[in-house]
Amino acid sequence: MRERVITLALLMGLFFGVLVLAMGAREWRSPGNQQGYAPEQPIAFSHRLHAGELSIDCQFCHVAADNSRYAGIPTSDICFKCHKFVTASFAAVMDERKKAAKEKREPAPVVSAELKKLYDMMGLDDQLKPQDSTGLKPIPWVRIHELPDHVLFNHQAHVQAGVACQRCHGPVETFERMYQYETLSMGWCVNCHREVNRTGVSGKAVHASIDCAACHY
Amino acid sequence: MNDKPDRTRVTGEPPGAETVSAAAHDSRWQFDRRRFLEAAGFSLSLTAVTACTRRPVQHAMPLGEMPDSFAPGKLVSYAATCNGCPAGCGLLVGVRDGRPLKMEGMPEHPLSRGGLCAVGQALPIALYDRHRLDGPLRRGKPAQWESIDRAVLQELQAIRESGGAVRLVTGTRTSPTLAAIISAFLGQFKDGKHVVVDPVSCSSIRAAHHSTHGASRLPRYRFDRAAVIVSFGADFLGTWISPVEYAAAWRQQRIPTVEQPQMSYHAHFEPQLTVTGSKADRRYRVTPQDYTTILAHLAKRLGALPLPKNMPSLDSVGSFTAGDLKTLARRLQRAKGASLVVCDSQDLVAQQLVNAINEQLGNYGKTLELDRPSFQRQGEDAALADLLDELEEGVVAALLVADVDLLHDLPESSRIRKGLKKAQLVVSFADHLNETARVAHCVCPESHLLESWNDFHPVGGLVSLSQPTIRPLGKTRTLLECLARWSGSASDDRTLIRQHWEKAIRPRATDPGADPVAFWDNAVQLGFVEIEESPQPAGYSAPGQLELASVSRPDEGYTVLLYAKTGMPESRHAHNPWLQELPDPVTKVSWDNYVCMGPSTAEELGVGEGDIVELSVDDVKLELPVYVLPGQHDRVLGVALAYGCPGTERFAQVGPSWLEARPTVPNGRPVGRNAAPLLNWQGKSLQRVRHGVSVRKTGRRRPLAVTQLYHSLKLPESIAAYGAPDRSDIVQSTTLEAFRADPESGKPEVHVDANLDLWPPDHPKSGHAWGLLVDLNACTGCSACVIACQSENNIPVVGWDEVRRQREMYWMRIDRYMQGEDDDLDVRVQPVMCQHCDHAPCETVCPVLATVHSEEGLNQQAYNRCVGTRYCANNCPFKVRRFNWFNYRHDSDRENLALNPDVVVRTRGVMEKCSMCVQRIEAARVEAKKEGRAIAEGDVQVACQQSCPAQAIVFGDLNDPKSRISQLAKDPRQYRMLEEYGFQTNVGYRRIVRNREGGAESTGHHS
Repeated sequence: MRERVITLALLMGLFFGVLVLAMGAREWRSPGNQQGYAPEQPIAFSHRLHAGELSIDCQFCHVAADNSRYAGIPTSDICFKCHKFVTASFAAVMDERKKAAKEKREPAPVVSAELKKLYDMMGLDDQLKPQDSTGLKPIPWVRIHELPDHVLFNHQAHVQAGVACQRCHGPVETFERMYQYETLSMGWCVNCHREVNRTGVSGKAVHASIDCAACHY
Repeated sequence: MNDKPDRTRVTGEPPGAETVSAAAHDSRWQFDRRRFLEAAGFSLSLTAVTACTRRPVQHAMPLGEMPDSFAPGKLVSYAATCNGCPAGCGLLVGVRDGRPLKMEGMPEHPLSRGGLCAVGQALPIALYDRHRLDGPLRRGKPAQWESIDRAVLQELQAIRESGGAVRLVTGTRTSPTLAAIISAFLGQFKDGKHVVVDPVSCSSIRAAHHSTHGASRLPRYRFDRAAVIVSFGADFLGTWISPVEYAAAWRQQRIPTVEQPQMSYHAHFEPQLTVTGSKADRRYRVTPQDYTTILAHLAKRLGALPLPKNMPSLDSVGSFTAGDLKTLARRLQRAKGASLVVCDSQDLVAQQLVNAINEQLGNYGKTLELDRPSFQRQGEDAALADLLDELEEGVVAALLVADVDLLHDLPESSRIRKGLKKAQLVVSFADHLNETARVAHCVCPESHLLESWNDFHPVGGLVSLSQPTIRPLGKTRTLLECLARWSGSASDDRTLIRQHWEKAIRPRATDPGADPVAFWDNAVQLGFVEIEESPQPAGYSAPGQLELASVSRPDEGYTVLLYAKTGMPESRHAHNPWLQELPDPVTKVSWDNYVCMGPSTAEELGVGEGDIVELSVDDVKLELPVYVLPGQHDRVLGVALAYGCPGTERFAQVGPSWLEARPTVPNGRPVGRNAAPLLNWQGKSLQRVRHGVSVRKTGRRRPLAVTQLYHSLKLPESIAAYGAPDRSDIVQSTTLEAFRADPESGKPEVHVDANLDLWPPDHPKSGHAWGLLVDLNACTGCSACVIACQSENNIPVVGWDEVRRQREMYWMRIDRYMQGEDDDLDVRVQPVMCQHCDHAPCETVCPVLATVHSEEGLNQQAYNRCVGTRYCANNCPFKVRRFNWFNYRHDSDRENLALNPDVVVRTRGVMEKCSMCVQRIEAARVEAKKEGRAIAEGDVQVACQQSCPAQAIVFGDLNDPKSRISQLAKDPRQYRMLEEYGFQTNVGYRRIVRNREGGAESTGHHS
């Protein structure tokens, strides 16, 4: 009888445990798999807008992808190349102009809420002049694509070989918020390596190593 | 649920006997094995479920601003110059993501020619040392630079007015800018003097040249031009003056080929085995006093000088006979102008005799350059003796000390301590709190080499620059900047050096160019500049009557030789864990210093390895463990200097912590013991040889952490009975005479079945086939490669206790084997790393396929797949696999900056071993692909190969018939270890050739 009680207690424990975790059931993965991870970012940057609608090349911002192991998360000064001039959406700027024209005054500078965060991080005031009090702070982007420490992935090798960014990162140009599109598991990597050894990459024959030491050292 | 369970059984408190028996019968309450497993199973499944959730949020922080031409993750090399010792070797500092990571030799450098020693390789760990002083101290308390400057200037002002003496003590610093600043600084005072102190000085060589050539100089030795080298105790391949420069030069005449079966002849006289002695063609075991006797007889025989009065006959010298003298003299005479006699004795007469012999042989201007001398050792014992006297008299008002630790590196420290108390102002520039810094009024820690601008003038005709590769991690300054500030100029080190170069260096440069900016930029980029220096001629005049030092040779007691270790040349490196753990090339002992004694001496004293003995002479007593070293002179003991440094107590917990762990150093004591009290003054010469030392057994023990427990390749009788008396075919050797007759001499007669194959040939190496070839004839065993590998591959420091348990983690070790007896000792060294067998015994036994072969012939180790059965290590015939018994310490964020991000830091429970620097191969592959080609010869240099001073290691593609390694593989000297077993290793060796008469040496093993 007591045995039943213990078993029952354990089963209840497991049941409630699972129940608690089930609240986040949508988030469940096999261990280590972060596919679909789409955390909120400190600035709501839209790849759809930049890479899709404006067709900015990936490497315009991720400058190191073709010459380094890391693609590189853009530094604030790269954003500032354009956002020195583009401080808000076109519609918002036009609205202000119309308003200003109506009120017969100079249009005031318009800064969107998201870009304000960028300028704050860069220590710029409303006039985009550097503030003395605050220095340049890095933007704490939430990391999405992260391989385990025992894997050494090299962006340069893949970009040089002609692998499209989308092959691993998915159709980023359609993402409003960035997320992990693929599983990035070892099986997924090796399958692609085997496949391109047969098919080549964009018509070019390649040799993608499936040696352990190609990635693990 | 009314009955409460018996808690005693659940909590595990010791139950009463009755409870136990009751419980045993009451099965309702039995929480038995089955029930336990059930509960464990449920808990485990819950744990597994939780693992399926998201990982914790991590941030990726980009830089705020992208620096120019910055690529994340790229290693960029910057030219610099090493200051590990005053030799001034060329450095390439590998910088990644803004932090210096890897030191490499600069191939273009005229002195070091691409080599770099262990000390230079170990610079990064010193840079990131968390115990380094990060700001100035005033009376032992952290202070601001402003208050230090104010205090020092105030004192100096007072001294200037009172006319007190100011003494600046440094080690040898060859910097021309610093020299100018020093003279400006000291010029402010009525009595200002710069005293150069070398812990291991060449004072006697300078003094001898003063008496024979009228100039107190150290010649630049050109071993590359010497066909006959005779060395008296000068360990020029290991520690003497400029070992990397000398090894690179020495190598050039040491490699016989089939076309040119020539090599230099190298005779070596020494009391204790050194790196150089182990490479000599003929090694004589003599005491340091014997040098003078032998040199006197040699000088007489060559007709250089008559035999001085009272000179003992050659009979007093143990193993060196009149016949040997005749042969040696004949060899020298035949190589007139291409021979070189060097001596490390501090006996002035010995050095004068050396000069007379070199002069007689016409070597000046050829193998010794005195008109373009070396500045790599500038210390003068006499000046130091004067300084100590002045200190004692209380004459010195201000003492500024850099590099050396006066209270630690010199004998009679209590006398110096008293003297220091009399000085108004004592300033130390030490970067750790050494003994002098502890009593100094102000400590102004110097920036690390990699944080500051420096320039060097190591030899005549060459000046070099060193640029910073990181901002100072603490609030430190350079000596240059401090002195400039205290002489009224507030410039930084870069401005000072640049101004001095514009003023004094560029006008003398061989190629000054039209544009000063371009000249400077070139100099910074290249790292060195050749300058015109008018030769300063120095004519020879034979020394008058040589006055033999009245060294009474006490019949009683032993002679103690105080020497510098290859990995620990000066006490300022004592805080470097890599150097502390590096096994000494000769003794293979890591951590600790010890008394080296010969086997018969040890027997006589009734002591063995690890027994602590007390050395005592006069009022000096020193307790040290014994190390029994074959080839040691029976009456000479050896003790390494630069140990026992205050602050090294920090290494107590350097290893992993576990139940049976023992601290690296006991009771908060420093690493090793300070042997400097045994140094002694003889007149104004600081002697590193102490006579009449008595030795007493204490009965206590300090086990030494030795990485090689056997000296010989002779097998124990139980195994030898099976027909293999020794395995000297592992390190093969031959003589030049035999090599001339048969280039394949020395090859053991073993049956190698080339077709022997375990596997079907279904894994052709169609692309690259990587291989490594080590020339044992060039390899000196200096261990630079060991530290290079450690730095490149994130190899942890494991501490004394783990090394003692044979759990050191080095991916490459240097084996050293000894054959023969005391006077006829044959030493062979062999670097051993993973041999990357094509038929790898480790691969077949791994149950999880964690170690497999790559398509390019590498034996790969996948850490994340390894489950730690250690079968592979057991099955490895070369014993090169290392198991991570622990998670080794990586708990300092600052010290972790020295880790190479391209290589995984291994965790507990996985096997690791040499990967043939696969990260470098992969990096080269990506770069080659960018240019649409395969990896070419020279694209990849493995870490051990890159820094080898003797260029003994060649890496390359065995499938490329034009590669250097393929060419060398055809060489008759090439062989593979344990070839007859058919491992088909990809690492090869080249046989040792000794310039001796006679046939090939024992090759043993006939199957």
